[in-house]
Parts: sequence; C-alpha cells; structure tokens
Amino acid sequence: MRLPTLVRTKPEAPGVHAEPFWSFRPQSDREAGDAIVSNFALHWFPAKISKASMAWSYSFWLGTISAALFFLLILSGLPLLFLYVPSVERAYQSVKDIEFVVTFGSWIRAVHRISAHLMVIAVALHLIRVFLTGAYKNGAGRGQRRQINWVIGVVMFLVTLFLSFTGYLLPWDQLAFWAVTVGTNIASSIPVIGPDVRELMIGGRAIEQATLIRFYVLHIIVLPGLLGGLFAYHMWRVRKDGGLARADAESVLESARPVAVVPTKTYTLLGVARGTAPAVTAKSIEAPETTVNAVPDLVRRAAIATLGTIAVVSIMSVFIASPLEEPANALVTPNPAKAPWYFLWLQEIVTDTTIRIGSFTLNGAFVGGVILPGLLVGLMTIWPWLDRSSSLAAGVWLPRSRRTQNIVFLLIIVFVLALTFVGMVLRGPYWNIYWPWEAWPEIPGRI
Amino acid sequence: MSDTKQPPDRRDFLLKLGTGAGICAITVQAAASMRSLVPNVSYDSPTTVKLGSPAEFPEGLKFLPDERLFVFRDGNTFHAVSAVCTHLGCTVHAEPLPNPQTVDEDGATVKLTHRFLCPCHGSRYRGDGANVSGPAPKPLAWFRLSLAADDGQLVVDLADAVEHDFRLTVG
Amino acid sequence: MEKRTNSPYPRIDRLIMAGIGIVLVIGTVLFIWSDRAHDWRYYQMEFRQMVAEKFGDDKAVKLPSGVQQIWVADLSRADRCVTCHQATTYKGFESAEQPYRTHPPEPLKQHPIEEFGCTSCHGGQGWAIDTAAAHGEVAHWEEPLLSRSLGESYTLAGNKNALMQMNCNTCHRFDRQTPGAGAINLAKSLVNEKGCRACHVINGFGGSIGPDLTAVGEKPPEQYEMSRLSGQRSAFAWHVAHFKDPRALSEGTVMPNFNFSSEQAQSLAMLMLSWKRNDVPAKYVAGAPRTDPRSAEELQAEAAMKNGPGGWFVQTGCFVCHSISSLGVKSPAQIGPDLSTAVEDVQSRFGVTVDQFLANPTGTMSVVLTRQIVLTPEQKQIAIQKLRDAFAAYQKQRGAAQTTVSGQ
Repeated sequence: MRLPTLVRTKPEAPGVHAEPFWSFRPQSDREAGDAIVSNFALHWFPAKISKASMAWSYSFWLGTISAALFFLLILSGLPLLFLYVPSVERAYQSVKDIEFVVTFGSWIRAVHRISAHLMVIAVALHLIRVFLTGAYKNGAGRGQRRQINWVIGVVMFLVTLFLSFTGYLLPWDQLAFWAVTVGTNIASSIPVIGPDVRELMIGGRAIEQATLIRFYVLHIIVLPGLLGGLFAYHMWRVRKDGGLARADAESVLESARPVAVVPTKTYTLLGVARGTAPAVTAKSIEAPETTVNAVPDLVRRAAIATLGTIAVVSIMSVFIASPLEEPANALVTPNPAKAPWYFLWLQEIVTDTTIRIGSFTLNGAFVGGVILPGLLVGLMTIWPWLDRSSSLAAGVWLPRSRRTQNIVFLLIIVFVLALTFVGMVLRGPYWNIYWPWEAWPEIPGRI
Repeated sequence: MSDTKQPPDRRDFLLKLGTGAGICAITVQAAASMRSLVPNVSYDSPTTVKLGSPAEFPEGLKFLPDERLFVFRDGNTFHAVSAVCTHLGCTVHAEPLPNPQTVDEDGATVKLTHRFLCPCHGSRYRGDGANVSGPAPKPLAWFRLSLAADDGQLVVDLADAVEHDFRLTVG
Repeated sequence: MEKRTNSPYPRIDRLIMAGIGIVLVIGTVLFIWSDRAHDWRYYQMEFRQMVAEKFGDDKAVKLPSGVQQIWVADLSRADRCVTCHQATTYKGFESAEQPYRTHPPEPLKQHPIEEFGCTSCHGGQGWAIDTAAAHGEVAHWEEPLLSRSLGESYTLAGNKNALMQMNCNTCHRFDRQTPGAGAINLAKSLVNEKGCRACHVINGFGGSIGPDLTAVGEKPPEQYEMSRLSGQRSAFAWHVAHFKDPRALSEGTVMPNFNFSSEQAQSLAMLMLSWKRNDVPAKYVAGAPRTDPRSAEELQAEAAMKNGPGGWFVQTGCFVCHSISSLGVKSPAQIGPDLSTAVEDVQSRFGVTVDQFLANPTGTMSVVLTRQIVLTPEQKQIAIQKLRDAFAAYQKQRGAAQTTVSGQ
C-alpha cells in the first residue's frame, strides 16, 4: 500500500506524524517505524526486534499468554460485575442465576474461572522460564537493571495469587467459605501480628459480609489496578533494559579486542531520550538480518499468542463446568476442607510440620504457612543479587555456569508440585491418604 | 518493488481468512457478553394477575381489593376500571346510582351504574372513570382484560391501559 | 527506494493465524450451541404441539416461550419449574405424562403458585433449568424432589407419595391434624400417645434426658453417627432405623424400643426431618393468629349492636362518631353528640329540623356527608325515620325510668 502524498500547505513541526493511519503491511522500514509511532496500542513496541527474541522456543511467549489471560479475565469479568451481587444473602443466588438463566452466563463464568487458573499456571511457568534462562541477569548492555524487573515480576506473581484467592470466595458456597477459612487461619499464625492481620483481612472475627465486601473490592478494583500498573512498568523496563535477555545473548560476539560503543545504535525510545540508556557494543546489531520490523512480525506473533489463548480458553469453557457447592454454612465443615490448589502445597506442609514432642508443640501453620513460603519467596526475590554467574549466561537456556542454581530451583519446583499433587489427588476425609483406587467414604445426604 | 500490487494469492487468502475469522469470533464473543446483560427472567411483581373464572363475577360491579380494581359485567361483556384515585392514590369507593345512565364514548356505549368517590380528599368520578369534581387531575384508568389460555380465568394486565371502547366478550 | 527488511516469518505465521481463526470460529459456534442446547426448548416445543392438536393453533400461539420464572419474594424462591411444566395450570392435560400433566387443582386453590412457588412443597432446585439439576439429582444439592419414585426407593409402606408431607409440615407444624397429610398426622398422634416429651424437649417444653428435637431437621447429615447403619446412608434412613431399634443404632442409649411398624417409623422420620427453624413469614404459618383475640362478651355485644334496632346506624358508619344509646348503639369514638335526642338537639342548636339539617348540613357534618358517608335521598329518609324512632325510644325509656322512680 502506498502512502498517500500530502500536499504540504504548511511546514510540519519536527516530531509530528501527519499520517492519520498506519499500515499493518508496511512496504518499507520507515513505514514500519511510523506504524509504531502513530498507533496508541503499539507505542510500547520497539520499531525493530531481534529475531532471536521472537523465537517460540525461547520464551514460549509465556509473558504474552499471561497478559492475554489477564485481558480475558477483565473482559469476562465485566458482565459478571453486572450480574453478581456481593451480599451474603444474595451472592449464592446471583451465581446460580448466572449459571442457569443468564444467556451465555455459564460460559462467561467458565471463561473467567479457567482463565484464572491458567493465569496462575502461565505466570508460574513464565517465572520458571525467566529463572532457567537467567533472564533476570544483566547482559551485554551498559546501564541495564533487569533485577528490578525480576522483583516486579515476583510481586506480580503474588498479586496474581491473591487475585485468585479473593475471587475464590465470591460464590459464597462451601468450597469458597472453607478455602478462605483455611487460608486466613494460616495467616493468623504469623507471630505477634498474625491475629491482627487475619482480622484486617476478614474485617472482623468471623467470615461474614465484611469479608465478602473486602475481598470483592480487592478483587475488582485494587488488585487488577495494581496488576495493570505493575504490568505497564514491567513492559517499560523490558524496553529500557534493551529487550529480552536473549537479544543480549545473541548480540555477543567473540572478540579479541575491545570494540567501541556504536554511536548510532541505542535502545532508547525512538532515539530521542537522553541519559543512561544501554549502549550496545556488539556489531551484530548492525547486521540487518538479525532484526525484523515489529510491524507486522511482532504484532502478528503477539496476536497469535493472544488469539490462540482466547481460542483455547473459549473451547475449554464449553466443556469444563464451574463448580458450585452447597451454600456456605459456618456450622458444617466439609471433610476434607481444602485450600485452592495453588495453596495446597502450603496446606500439605502445614499438616506435615505440626510437631509434638511431649508437651511442646510446634505450630505447623507457622512453619509451613509463614516461615517456609516466606523464606522461599524472599530468597527468590533477592536471587539476582546473590547470583554470581557471568553476564554471558543471561538469556541462555540452562547454561553450564548456572547449572547448580537451576538444578536446585527445579528440585524446589518439583517438590512444590509433588506436594500439590498429594494435596489434590491423594488426600481424603480427615486428611488421610486415599490412593486413586481406594474409594472415599460415602458422604451421607439428607434423604 | 514497493508499489507493484501482487495478484491475490493463497497467502493473502489465508491471511484474510485468519483475520476475518478472528475478528468475527471476537465480535461474537463480545456480543455474547452484551447479550448476557439482557435479563431473561423478571424479578418484578407480575403485572398480569389472574382474577378468577368469569362465572365468579356477578352482573354489575365486583370490587377486587388486592388488585384495587372494579370489574364490570354486562351480560357476557367485561371491562375493568382502576380504583386508584389519580390525585394521591387512595382507593375510591363505589356507590350505586339510583338511575343508571348510558353514555357514548370512544365509539362505544358505557352503562353508568355507579359513581366513585374518594374518601381522602373528596374527588368524584363518573361511572366510566371520568373525573367530575375534586382535586383529581385525570380520569380513572381502564385496564386490559383477557382470558387465560390455560384455565380460562379472567386476567387483568395492570401495565396495559386501554381506551374506553375496550370490552372483553366471553363465550 | 526505501530500505525494507525482509522477514522469514509471514508464511508460517499466517498459516498459524488462519488455524487459530478457524479454532476461534469453532469455539464461538460451540459456546452458542451449548447455550441453546437445553431440555426445556424441546419440552416447550412438544407441549405447543400437544396444545395445537387438542385446542387449536390459536391457543398454542399464546403459550409463553423462553425461561419462565415464579418469583416469590417472601420466601426468596425463584422457581423455574413452569418452563418445562407448562401444563401446571392448563386445564385439559390431567392424564398426560409428566412434564405435560396438569397439576391437581385442589391443592393449588389453598396454595396458589404465585404465593408459594413450586419447590416449597415439592423440593428440588428451583433455580435450575435442566431436568436433572432441577430435580435436585446432582451433587451439592441437598433437597431432592420429594417424588413418588423417591418414596419407592425407600419402599415406603403406605402412600408412596408421602415424602412431600415433610414440606407441608414446614408451615403446618403447629396444626394438630392437617387434611391431606396422613403420614404426618399419624406421626403427630404418635408423639402425643407415646409421650416423647418425657425425655425430649419439643417446641419449648419437655424432658432433658434426650436431645432437644425442636430443630432436629436441621442437623447436618455429617453429624449423625452412622457407623452402625446398614443400607442407605442418609439422615432419613438413620431416623427410620433409630425408631425401629434405638439400641442397635446408638450405643449406650436409654431410648426404649416402641416396636413401631415400618409405616409408623417412616412417618415419624418424616416428622423429624420436617422440624426446622422457620424463616417463613407469619402469613404462611397455618394457625398463627393474625387478628387480636376478642372475648366472648365483646363478640356478643358487637353482634347485638349489629342486629339490634340500631343496626342501620352501624351499617352506614354513623356510629363511628355518634352513640344512639336509646337503640343500644355505643360509639367507639363518641366524637359527636348522642343521636337519641337529635330530633330535639338539632332544632335547639341549629334552628332547623333534622330533615332540613340532613339536606343542608353545616360544619363537620357537611364535610362528612359530602365525602365519607354520602347518603342517597332514600337513605336520608331512612335516617330521619330512624332518628325519630330513636327519639321515641328515648322518650319511652325516660318515661319508664321516671315511672319507676316516681312509683316508689
């Protein structure tokens, strides 16, 4: 498509882009760059992107998939906002109505629930990928600070978990009520401030209307807003750090002598920002065949990742129904009462670490619910500063220089997964082990 | 060359297919979200109320206090007048007239066997609901009557006001 | 010519994009289909055909379509049963098979659907619009449809349809006997005969040897000790077994074995499960007094006033403000003067006769006689006559009193 030639009636101010529309099939690099600049949605894309960063097999585009799932959650959450009533007398009934009499209601609810669970998984996989490729490390550029992005990412992961937890309570059925009971009881085992933290979370002593409205407001405004803000900063930091770590790894060439900084190549935004921007010392960036135009290639791949996620979730939602158990009843505890699956490893540790020696009892909730996850998350957060491997390992899958840390990390992940599996599949009434071939005792009904 | 247009080929077709299908699907999903906000069931009080079988209504006037309605019967013809005073909403009383009259309105004759008086502020209405004195600003409303399809009861639709030529003929 | 970077991606990426587009379309079709594939559409179509065959097309066209709901705000129930059971109030399908069968009309006269819904009597899950879910035959719904087939599965001795009576008793709890609730009536008479209150508190009084049974129907099934229960595990089955042989079921109990028959034990079990703390509004509870109680003397005095010589003044409402003591009418408010002497009083106070006063009333009476109590000309004649009668009676009574006084 040719750009229309404008009859220039007055001189344009520098920096103004006169063309009203952009092209998704640019015929030149200049058009491609123009498309980025004149488009609000794409303004945070770079004009050119390294081919190495685009590879499916490097990042699996997990970050994009996580963002697509978040986008789906907001989209499916909007009609649910109109349909759900956050009052203890009416919440359950409103969810039943969504399931039965709202057109597409059960599908919208299933999209919301499946996206939520998949988002926890996608964000976790993204975190694992970033760790295993050492992408939290700074690479070839000067002035990179990828460790900040890592910390932001860990915070986003915790916000994702908390978003899922607050949403879990909203149907106000037995599953929701008791899962939140278990979760908040674990929080209350923090020493000194535990009971106060629990009271602040619950809005009182018992899980009641105050809890529901607190969790509701957190779930629909506070946490999504926080996540949105963190997401924007996360993206911006990626640009400021010179793109994905893989781009750094690709750009490094063996060189016997020091190479001067390329004066015309920076990763600053459109080349107009000044300051401590990363400056590239490698020559390969000069070679045109290592980069492609973001429009259309990056846009197309991002669209594939996003639309593919939407397609998969749409179909899964037709076939996987959302559960809704009996209405919440504070007098009847289901047996077993389980936390949501992403906290099951904690519940498993809590039950396993309650130690009684004579009259001395070590409270498992404290060890398993506070100390252990606190240690693990804290260690994970500060790891970029403890990591001693060279910057050449940034953006490389399972490099030798980071072998030990990767193995330990994977072992911890496997440990968490194993505990989750035990909690999900093997634990039955009274938290006894029931192998898959052993039937659970029948729960009596009323009539 | 940048400005030669290539003839449409399979790649272009696939691209258009993908884009078009994707846009269609997303649009339909968005429309689905919008459709979910159009209620299928109503939690409002029903405005159509069953009043009983026609045999339970005597010749002349029957007052139904729960619906605040006067049901008139003349042979096999029925019509219904609201008992809600148009001034401030009190329920009016009906009083039989010693000499029934007949008037023509809206192209039909109405037999006036009663008049209506409001005990609250003294509004008076003629037997067809026309306001004749007192503070009432408008005549009493007439509502649509019908027969229920399932059990043949008289049904009034309190949301459907009709003109004074409305009659329901039964049988 | 401007620089243009060639990219190797478009070929493969566009293919993937097309594939995703197709998957998206399939997904869209699937979810639209899943929303439309519900039982009720078929049942409504069938019923429409049945009505068309039996009553003609014009009636069939009037049938409502779509999800139908009966919302009973007082009981917080939204029952959608009539979506499939469209024949519920439709005369003419009394012998059809469900869901096309007309509901027996007698229970509906006392318990109209608009005020009770369906599930408050029949059980089941009113919110649902699919058959199994609506009949409560799904996990996590604890009120199944109390149907004949459920009764058969429990091999109820006696009426197989009796399980529904548990729900009758939710409102009819304080009746001694409720017509139509044979099993519950049997159970209630047994409770009286056998003296259950000797050991159990029921409705506020009784003994404390056994547990309080006032809300025993609310006890969650998880809290029953079922280790010695054979067969079906439910609260109902536990109660039946418990009534038949308490000591076999509950270790260490002192409850005697009353040798109940199966029918008696099952009726008693139904009664137990029906005893719940009620959230129903008072207007639904049979036997709950809705008026202030009045003594027999008050009722007698009221009847005498209405049927006596002054009854006309009661009928018209004059007695609200005026007593007419000579005719035995006592006003509750006594705002105006006693009308026994109206013939004289009106003359002396207003200077006109009673006839003239009624024709042109003044003061408060002018407001009352134009708005609240509007008398036709005939009624005014009757009023005048009655006032004269009252005055005559007054004079006679006064004369009799004086004679009595002077005669001493």
